[in-house]
Amino acid sequence: MPALQSPPPPPVVQVREMDFCYGSSIALEGINLAVERYRITALIGASGCGKSTLLRCINRMNDRVPGARVTKGEILVKGKNIHDDDVDLTQLRKQVGMVFQKSSPFPKTIYENVAYGQRTHGVKSKDILDDAVERALRHAALWEELKDRLDQNALGLSGGQQQRLCIARAIATRPDVLLMDEPCSALDPIATLKIEELMHQLAREFTVIIVTHNMQQAVRVSDYTAFLHLGKLVEFAETDALFSNPRQKLTESYLRGTFS
Amino acid sequence: MTPNPTAVGNPFAGAKNQQERRERITRWLLRLVTFFIVAVTLGILALIAIKGSPVVFRSQWPFVNTKFLTELPSTLHVIEDVKGNKQEVEVGHADEVKAGLGDNFHSETTISYSGGGILGPIVGTALLVLVSISVALFLGVSCAIYLSEYAKHGKFLELVRLAILNLAGVPSVVFGLFGLGAFVLTAPVFTHMPMDRSILIIPLGFTTLSFEGWDTCVLSGGFTLAFVILPVIITASEQCLQAVPQGFRETSMALGATRWQTIRYSVLPFAMPGILTSSILGIARAAGETAPIMFTAALAFKDKLPWQKALPPLPADASIFAHWEQSVSRLLGVFTESVQALPYHIYTIAAKIPQNEYSERAQYGSVFVFLVLVATLAATSIWLRRRLRAKYRW
Ligand SMILES: Nc1ncnc2c1ncn2[C@@H]1O[C@H](COP(=O)(O)OP(=O)(O)O)[C@@H](O)[C@H]1O
Ligand SMILES: [Mg+2]
Repeated sequence: MPALQSPPPPPVVQVREMDFCYGSSIALEGINLAVERYRITALIGASGCGKSTLLRCINRMNDRVPGARVTKGEILVKGKNIHDDDVDLTQLRKQVGMVFQKSSPFPKTIYENVAYGQRTHGVKSKDILDDAVERALRHAALWEELKDRLDQNALGLSGGQQQRLCIARAIATRPDVLLMDEPCSALDPIATLKIEELMHQLAREFTVIIVTHNMQQAVRVSDYTAFLHLGKLVEFAETDALFSNPRQKLTESYLRGTFS
Repeated sequence: MTPNPTAVGNPFAGAKNQQERRERITRWLLRLVTFFIVAVTLGILALIAIKGSPVVFRSQWPFVNTKFLTELPSTLHVIEDVKGNKQEVEVGHADEVKAGLGDNFHSETTISYSGGGILGPIVGTALLVLVSISVALFLGVSCAIYLSEYAKHGKFLELVRLAILNLAGVPSVVFGLFGLGAFVLTAPVFTHMPMDRSILIIPLGFTTLSFEGWDTCVLSGGFTLAFVILPVIITASEQCLQAVPQGFRETSMALGATRWQTIRYSVLPFAMPGILTSSILGIARAAGETAPIMFTAALAFKDKLPWQKALPPLPADASIFAHWEQSVSRLLGVFTESVQALPYHIYTIAAKIPQNEYSERAQYGSVFVFLVLVATLAATSIWLRRRLRAKYRW
């Protein structure tokens, strides 16, 4: 890869002037966001401000919601407008993985959980699957813990392990972008810490966009932070800059916890 | 007794005794009604068990009356000699016994359907249940998948639900008449239309799929019964599908699975135990219905099992393929035969023949066996549900 150093690589996810509606109510308005490759970008903001909605736009999970649609602007992933007619949703979602707030492993074996994505994309070879499962579990720092119990039901794992298993499952298809919607909100502090450590590892190979309601977490893990308020993107900057030196009044009062 | 607050310093004095009495009476009334219902149910069960079990069980090895369970129903002959000794004889041996008695012969009574056993009805009911549950599961689960996973919420869906609900309220005799009209009378006409090739004949390689040979038969009855239990299966299946967490669908789709893949691999497998469990209750219902099969499948009496149909004998030098073909057509032929069925058999011997001690014996025996079969199914269903509920908890 010759062009890694300079000039700055093109953003892997780019949202341009996007408006988004649930039926007739506007959820997002005029969003502009450029996500750099191999970086962790955090989305913060009060509950209901549209963080999840924005995240779910990027892999078009909102298509499932009746009446939900992008009404203006566009979203580009790897330079391609994801709403183009020739975009195959299954391919998009294979390359833009997602981890949900409530970890929900399927009540299948650990192995089957991790192999799920590959299987749905038609991989049948046992060798390739074994390989993918091992690699994903190693990435999620689960391999050492679980390698002897791959054929056990995933529901027998602890909450933190389940969430890391979900991460492994999402990265087993080797996506470029990993979307995480409050991945730690249901976990205890120690499990949270483990996932935060994991995220730094993940950022070496994936571009991570994480929604969090925990500002400390954003500081700890992210390179960039976007602050949303009532469906608008108020400020987007490097995390250090945004937290130490917010440019917008709104951001400042949110960070200080003095919302009016 | 009027309360007097100033009397002895009891501020809570009231019509306590009277209220308590009223409470007690109410409670006892409700309790009595409940006990009465339980007593009636137990009474019926006990009567059937007491009168039926002697017919089915024996005090010596093998402890069950194998004859009753493995023979076809037949006419019972009871021959009485001059001394008043009665002797029960099967059809074939009546003349023999009469000749043996010679001058001692006094009288002979014949009781239809009450001799032999009830294998015919058991086999017939099993076949009907097999066909109906297969058809109902296929149609019902497909429909439930559509309603739960694909259909858009709205007026149309409500209408469909209403229609299904109404289907559940249709009297079963109406289903019987529907089956008679659709499967017994109309369907074969279509396949026999004087056309080069009817569209309703689907070639399957070694044989063809058509309404050919449908008449009063297992297929007609099974399909009719399928429609009777369809509402139950659809409703239960839809509930089971809805019980699978939405998160499974989201996760699966987010991993790039198509909608069908999602249903196939992360919804259906987790709904299936529940669907199968509730369909066992559908089986019990299908096994018990009489009206839908009266015109479509069941005969009051039949002296052959469905696979004992006479087929033209093969020539001595017939190839192995011809033998194989005949076996296949014999097997498939089972479904185009009319059969006896337990509920209809019970109806026949209870209401269609003169009653006496012998017919009563056959009745209680049949009812007992029937009840045991249905109770076993229901128990299996409950047991399965317990087990699966423990296994699939998310
Ligand atoms: N499926 C939906 N249908 C209609 N409105 C929704 C739906 N999901 C979210 N919303 C609305 O969109 C807004 C943003 O929600 P969301 O993105 O979930 O916020 P956040 O994740 O920041 O808490 C909220 O006002 C919410 O009520
Ligand atoms: Mg959210």
